[in-house]
Amino acid sequence: MTVIKNPIAKLIFYAILFVWGISVLYPLLWTLLDALKDNQQFFRNAPWSLPEFPLLWSNFSYVWSKYNFSTYFVNSLVVTAGSTGLGLLLSATTAYVLARYKFRGSSSLYLLYVSSMMIPFVLALIPLFFLMNSMNLINTKLGLIVVYASSVLAFGIFVLVGFFRSLPKELEEAAIVDGASYYGTFFRVMLPLSQPGLITIAIVNVLNIWNEYIVGTILINDPSQYTLPVEIGVMQAEMQYRTEWGPLFAALFITIVPVLLMYIFFQRQIASGITAGAVK
Amino acid sequence: MNSGTAKWQRNVFIASFIIPTLLFFGVFTIYPVLQGLYYSFFDWSGMSDNKTFVGLDNFKELFHDPIVWRAIGNDYFLVAGKVVGIMAIATFFAVALTRFGFRMAGFFRSIFFIPNVISVVVIGVLWNFIYNPQIGFLNAFLSLFTQEQVTITWLGFTNHTIWMLLPPAIWAGIGFYMILLIAAIQSIPASYYEAASLEGAGQWRQFRDITIPLVWEQIKVSVLNIMMTTLNGSFVIVWIMTEGGPDNSTQVMGSYLYQMAFRQYHFGYGASIGFIILVLSLITTIILQRLMRHETVEMS
Repeated sequence: MTVIKNPIAKLIFYAILFVWGISVLYPLLWTLLDALKDNQQFFRNAPWSLPEFPLLWSNFSYVWSKYNFSTYFVNSLVVTAGSTGLGLLLSATTAYVLARYKFRGSSSLYLLYVSSMMIPFVLALIPLFFLMNSMNLINTKLGLIVVYASSVLAFGIFVLVGFFRSLPKELEEAAIVDGASYYGTFFRVMLPLSQPGLITIAIVNVLNIWNEYIVGTILINDPSQYTLPVEIGVMQAEMQYRTEWGPLFAALFITIVPVLLMYIFFQRQIASGITAGAVK
Repeated sequence: MNSGTAKWQRNVFIASFIIPTLLFFGVFTIYPVLQGLYYSFFDWSGMSDNKTFVGLDNFKELFHDPIVWRAIGNDYFLVAGKVVGIMAIATFFAVALTRFGFRMAGFFRSIFFIPNVISVVVIGVLWNFIYNPQIGFLNAFLSLFTQEQVTITWLGFTNHTIWMLLPPAIWAGIGFYMILLIAAIQSIPASYYEAASLEGAGQWRQFRDITIPLVWEQIKVSVLNIMMTTLNGSFVIVWIMTEGGPDNSTQVMGSYLYQMAFRQYHFGYGASIGFIILVLSLITTIILQRLMRHETVEMS
């Protein structure tokens, strides 16, 4: 490691890092502060001014109950958990077989999944709408769950095949000798061993699905089924007719907090997910 | 054990782990993608009984649609702007946070990633507020330096509004590629840098002759990834911030697809826009791969 010695250069580098640091942290703080203001304060005071007392914590309860964010929050939770779980199960099973068993077509199957990551998903938007419609899955959480689960399969298979291959073969052989079935070997030996890989994928998927907007907008028109990002989009469009800035920022804050907490707790797994996914 | 049943058991196991996933993937990903290609040859308003085969008419119409050309131009503007902006800044941070021995490097690395975990919708709304003509950040900031209140409608220019979408897109993209490059730089053996130092190579020489060649593979992946995600997904931020306006001047192919299909119910036309997006991203991938090919260096 070569430490920069020139004090002026050092100062400049630090200044740049600090400025960028502020540019990423300040919006979070400012979202919270603006969530505590009433409309007048937005027009009267500068955008960076602190909220006046009394702080309007009521904006949060207002959004939570009047704007039905309690419903959207639960919808987002259900959809995210369901599709992450389903996606994980489907990709882990296939990845294990692709990593460990040779059969006719196995390598082309792997290629199919991996190369599908190159195809723009927008291409599927229109047909998905009609497909879901014909399956009566439009405006349902189940519809979103199956589409999201399917959209994360390729990434999961790609990363997990690599992960399973890196595990020593002796473990399975020992399990077989002990009389375990194929299924027993997978569920009791291999799956627990691949936990780090599974967790990494789960977290990356949770972040992506929680934040997803466009598929949600297309497949869901019924407000009772909205996820958080879909409602944020609707809410901001409504701001043209009724201005409720404080509640809008409260809504943004409610949407950000869960992913921010996940990031704080699982930073390392997220970083390894990025590097694993990028070695295509 | 009978080898016949053993083989059968093995095959059942393989099938039970492969087929459900493949069916699922086939129905919810492959089938819609193929359908999308198929629909692009039809004139179709969404009701099944008035779907008429029109051959290449949609593509002919696309070719004469000035908005399509504008959208393609905007797409490539965003690709170029994001590639240059994101790669320059992400590389700078990646080097600064690994090679320069700064205290707090870990802290900066953690917080620089934050925009990447936030939904694009939220980012779009936040930046809308920055650009808001009456109560926005940017005008309030500029007003500090002027006599009169600044009231620029940042997202309302007829010609250059697309420039306004570049800062949020770059801001939101840095962290991901920075993490990727940091991992790559950290895998370079320290002895390379030590040897270079001993021979008197400064920071800049080390960067140019060691870091860049050895992380070229990751740079390539990053550039391709930026290009693909931009052609494929940049329309979400466009849609949230401008809906392609004013007067279609910030339309990109994705947002135009969305508008044509789900706002104006020209589903066939929308599908053919999707077809063009696929073709463009494949062609661009090939061109970029050729352009960036020769520079890979194997680490021994």
